[in-house]
Amino acid sequence: MSRSDFEPLPEEPAFDVVQSWFQAVISHPDGVASGLSGPEAQRLIGLGRDELERIVRRSRRLSASERIGIYAHAYYARLLECLGECFPVLRRVLGADLFEPIAFEYLQRYPSQSYTLDRLGDRFAQFLEETRDSEAGAPPAWPEMLADLARFEHAIARVFDGPGLEGEPRFSAEDLQGLGAEGFAAAWLIPSPSLRLLTFRFPLNDLYTAARAAGEEDELDFPAPGVEHLALCRREFVVRRYPLSPFEFELLTGIVAGVPVGEALAGAAERAVVAEDLPKEIERSFAMWTAAGFFRAVEPSQGA
Amino acid sequence: MGPIEPRTMISPRLGYPNLGAGVGLRSVHFEHILATQPAVDWFEVISENYIDSQGRPRHVLRQIAERYRVVLHGVSLSIGSTDPLDRDYLRKLKALAAETNAAWVSDHLCWTGVLGKNTHDLLPVPFTEATLRHVVERIRIVQDILERPLVLENPSSYVTFAHSTMEEWEFVARMAEEADCGLLLDVNNVYVSSFNHDLEPEEFIRSLPHERIVQFHLAGHSDYGTHLIDTHDHPVIDQVWELYRLAHQLTGGVATLLEWDAKIPPFEVVHAEVLKAKRFTEPVEEAPRPKADLESGPWNELSFAGPLGEAPSPHPLHHIRPDVV
Repeated sequence: MSRSDFEPLPEEPAFDVVQSWFQAVISHPDGVASGLSGPEAQRLIGLGRDELERIVRRSRRLSASERIGIYAHAYYARLLECLGECFPVLRRVLGADLFEPIAFEYLQRYPSQSYTLDRLGDRFAQFLEETRDSEAGAPPAWPEMLADLARFEHAIARVFDGPGLEGEPRFSAEDLQGLGAEGFAAAWLIPSPSLRLLTFRFPLNDLYTAARAAGEEDELDFPAPGVEHLALCRREFVVRRYPLSPFEFELLTGIVAGVPVGEALAGAAERAVVAEDLPKEIERSFAMWTAAGFFRAVEPSQGA
Repeated sequence: MGPIEPRTMISPRLGYPNLGAGVGLRSVHFEHILATQPAVDWFEVISENYIDSQGRPRHVLRQIAERYRVVLHGVSLSIGSTDPLDRDYLRKLKALAAETNAAWVSDHLCWTGVLGKNTHDLLPVPFTEATLRHVVERIRIVQDILERPLVLENPSSYVTFAHSTMEEWEFVARMAEEADCGLLLDVNNVYVSSFNHDLEPEEFIRSLPHERIVQFHLAGHSDYGTHLIDTHDHPVIDQVWELYRLAHQLTGGVATLLEWDAKIPPFEVVHAEVLKAKRFTEPVEEAPRPKADLESGPWNELSFAGPLGEAPSPHPLHHIRPDVV
């Protein structure tokens, strides 16, 4: 056993207390010294200045504080790196110098509660919404774009590793044939579990493409505000992006909500501008969505 | 202190097979492995990368498990935590082990967080009687749920606790005997921790119950002069290979796995690194043996693929980048 000038505490501290204390020290945002003197650690194990060796031994080469500091450094370094991997485009748009302080604050407000790092960024978009400094009613600006971009990247990750239709018989346009116009209008389309419908306050799809293709030194052109609708869907385990018109977005929203196709069409026509040649537009959209794997099946109405 | 005597006679490796020389499965190598089906004895996979996956990672794992023996290696069991065990996690882990026909399931002697938080680090435990009782009780619960022996690894550590009453090897040995579990001896971690805690790595290895060692880990680390960090981003150093030689002699040989998690080189380089293990083991029969015979599978021969080239950018161990167009 290593030697120390300090005696351990007279009574062995309870294991749960030691763990809570250790976690409080290594996750303190201002480092080990602040963690040790902070109220949480002091409440758990009240150590005076320079008494750390009563809990953690020093080694021949490092003090107790330096040794526990290895864990403190690793805690934020690991999670910041992982958040950067979860939001590569957001990190690219912001640059590491801006991304990391924001991510650092996020980790303090929403520390990981999951056994998997895949869920580390679950509340990042929410956090960016909560902390944006925008006046109510003001037009969307930079903070709104960042929050939408976080939501976009998080949705891609969830679609990538969530449920999909791979391995199931492929739903095709032929499955819709034979229903007839009335039967089609009365039918329910069952969406793919990977289908996500997104609305952004900025046109982010092109920015996403550009940021992924850009080199580290390349400048990115940021878009002006403007509503953009997008569908995400996975086919053959690859996430694919599909820009949607407002009408298409409303139509798909109705279908995903579980209303019959005819009712979804009527609702979309009420809420969005209708194309001049609507029947042809609808036919084209459904052909594309079916080929893209938006739907799992069709359920004819009871009377069809 | 000498080796802890087992309470009862048990089979070498706890009865588990010696799978040979394996490689830690990493997503940067997915395409290469599926396309070339390299002659690797077995793969170890990080459980948390696949446990919830319903997409490509799980799809790839299923294909690999059809062709290779697979071992599940977790990082979030948190066997030493004072928080309740996560039974939902354990239920999923059991299902994944069944789906992949995992040869065994391993994790670390550590805790990863308390009060509902996860630091995603392998945090050290004090080596006390109270901690031992706590850990042993939880291992028994986990083994009951998984319906198989758990295999636990000695992690690299950077602190020791003033109120510890025994050395790590004694704790590990007693834990294994009292909980009747297996051990994953990470030889690099023994070296790293021993340097950091001013201990003798050979004494650590000699003092373990060798018949309970089911698997070895090998990896590289980073030397910061005053301390070593277990970074898994270098080849294995000579001193660790020598410890491996000793461990091999003491155990009679067990499944050996190379971990490489940052600055990951091409697959052939990682594979060639673990095949170096043959230089440090007793000669084995030369004739190749069929895959079905797993009792003492030969080291696969593969010539060293060349010097380290431009390595792909590393990414955190537990995160797989989505495929998106």
